[in-house]
Amino acid sequence: MQFLQHVCDVLYRSSFGTMLRESNNAFSVIESVHVLSITLLVGTIAVLDLRMLGLILRSVSVSRLARSVLPLSWSGFAVSVASGFLLFWAEAAKMYVNPSFRAKLVLLVLAGFNALVFHTTIYRRAREWESLQVCPWRARVTAVVSLALWGGVIIAGRAIAYF
Amino acid sequence: MSLHGWFIALARSPLGHAMQTSRWGFAVVEMVHLLGLALLGGSVLIVDLRLLGVILKSESAITIGRGVSRLLLCSLTVMVLSGIALLSEEAGKCYYSPAFRCKMALLAAALVFYFTLHRQALLRVQSEEPTLWPRIAAIVSLLLWLGVGVAGRAIGLL
Amino acid sequence: MKARLAIALAVAISGVAIQAHAHHSFAAEFDINQPVRLMGKVTRIEWSNPHTYFYIDVVDANGTVINWAVEGPSPGALSRRAWQKGDLKVGDTVVVEGYRAKNGSNTANGRRVTLPDGRRLYGGSPGDGGPGDDGTDQGNLPAAGTIK
Repeated sequence: MQFLQHVCDVLYRSSFGTMLRESNNAFSVIESVHVLSITLLVGTIAVLDLRMLGLILRSVSVSRLARSVLPLSWSGFAVSVASGFLLFWAEAAKMYVNPSFRAKLVLLVLAGFNALVFHTTIYRRAREWESLQVCPWRARVTAVVSLALWGGVIIAGRAIAYF
Repeated sequence: MSLHGWFIALARSPLGHAMQTSRWGFAVVEMVHLLGLALLGGSVLIVDLRLLGVILKSESAITIGRGVSRLLLCSLTVMVLSGIALLSEEAGKCYYSPAFRCKMALLAAALVFYFTLHRQALLRVQSEEPTLWPRIAAIVSLLLWLGVGVAGRAIGLL
Repeated sequence: MKARLAIALAVAISGVAIQAHAHHSFAAEFDINQPVRLMGKVTRIEWSNPHTYFYIDVVDANGTVINWAVEGPSPGALSRRAWQKGDLKVGDTVVVEGYRAKNGSNTANGRRVTLPDGRRLYGGSPGDGGPGDDGTDQGNLPAAGTIK
């Protein structure tokens, strides 16, 4: 995709991108924020997924937990995306050709899609099963898929350094 | 055997040898360490934010604490085991690293705190609104665990 | 626990798939048994995070010019050793003593770098576990003649 590649080149060569890439401390700090934000983003989603699998916090209803946890997940998402975008900006041209980075984006989209499907279908009828210790199979499948996809995002993110 | 001796022994162990010669061993173990971090961080956030009175206020703090304790301890175990494997790859260097020493000190503090004062604070919070001490306990816990994470990042940066 | 199985599977699969070219640990990427001493003119410099690189043209015994890549730490770590961005320029002659990459490519990790102004600096990444690494960002500059 010539246009995307061109955009990546422009970002890479921009003075802001170059400044970040060549920085003494800024890049490292932003990268650290990005890495630690996985606790706020993936950690909280994992807690919800593990509840739906009936493995933790069984005395709390799923929707009760979701209402408390999802704002945290969204905050984590905001921090991850903001820091991630800056990291991407600094290395845009290299990220364009990095297969692990591409895989990470694909997994991210799939994770979002999984959540969207869940929230517009099974979760709509949460009142019927929210207090069950073992949730309906569709909810459990969503949870396993969510854990696998978000785990994949973390793994692909780390693997970027190896390509 | 001295502390330094233990580090050398770890580096020379079969685990250390495997980690040092493997092409992708370090990478894979590091990824497991990151996955563990996400789960540990998530469970710490849930219990400490309840202790702070920010989330899940209608459940008692000890219920939340017990509800995530298995996840917290399992993910902590994953992190310690993967951490030992990572350490075996570069034990001698870590022994002298100020960032590593800082991380271990903070980890010890976080663990001791979790099993003592933190647990007490959880038991005390029955009603919806926690008082001052449970809030302080939550903040101390969050800061200690955050410190472990930041020090861990510093090992490779400073 | 099904969730842990899913995660473990994902890790195992990616573990097989990853080729670990660039590695944030000296021992896995560079060979302590292949010391190199390179002297040449700088052709390109990448002063970037997370690792800096500079490329030098080295003339071997037969007169053939080989371009070598030298990996260094982040700009932050170098600046803390008083090695700033402009200290090395394209066209400068530099001496690198270090170790060759295990994959046999013309890549080296410079443990001891002699800049054009005569300064000798430690070129390893903090915490990479290689020779001269003492866990701090200053490192322990290997003495002259010890990398062989």
